[in-house]
Amino acid sequence: MDEFQTGEETAFVVDEVSTIIKESVEAAIGGNTYQHSRVNQWTTNVVEMCLSQLSKLGKPFKYIVTCIIMQKNGAGLQTASSCFWDNSTDGSCTVRWENKSMYCIVSVFGLAI
Amino acid sequence: MEEYHPGDEVAFNPDEASNSVKECIEGIIGGVDYSQNKVNQWTATIVEHSLTQLVKQGKPFKYIVNCAVMQKSGAGLHTASSCYWDTTTDGSCTVRWENRTMYCVVSVFAVAVAL
Repeated sequence: MDEFQTGEETAFVVDEVSTIIKESVEAAIGGNTYQHSRVNQWTTNVVEMCLSQLSKLGKPFKYIVTCIIMQKNGAGLQTASSCFWDNSTDGSCTVRWENKSMYCIVSVFGLAI
Repeated sequence: MEEYHPGDEVAFNPDEASNSVKECIEGIIGGVDYSQNKVNQWTATIVEHSLTQLVKQGKPFKYIVNCAVMQKSGAGLHTASSCYWDTTTDGSCTVRWENRTMYCVVSVFAVAVAL
């Protein structure tokens, strides 16, 4: 009984997701300078845009998108994540972006249903 | 055929996870000052310990634990996350901790496994 063929369409494709993230970040904060009053809106926009593009892919995945925006000021920032999942089907992708006044780090985690 | 009754044991308990994570953070960076050479090791240890504690609870979840440690120097930091999942079974919790020289933000995301 051939019901569901697991192939490329159901694996987490890092390159595709990476492109989606980069486009979303560029569109949301592309030419802007860090502004305390607007950064709240920016992080929200970045995650929402990424998530809507990802769900449009129509794959059987649950997604978690996180975004960090940090002002360039000389401070040190270190992030790490650890995941307990199914290695054969789940995956993640992290994109680091920066401009003259800020850093933006976006991570997408995709978990197969 | 009565096999499995979904009840309290299979919902994500954010308070329990939050306490577990706070203890891990305290244990690892409790009384120390920000140090650039050690921070790499701290974040890795925090996520591993937190994950181990969560998995020990034995619930049918996949977990993602994220940790960010930032030096206190006046810079602004903003984080956001958005999740596309099953809101009845999945959940998350975020713990914000600080001491004199650094901030630590740990997020736990739990996604139910279909049995």
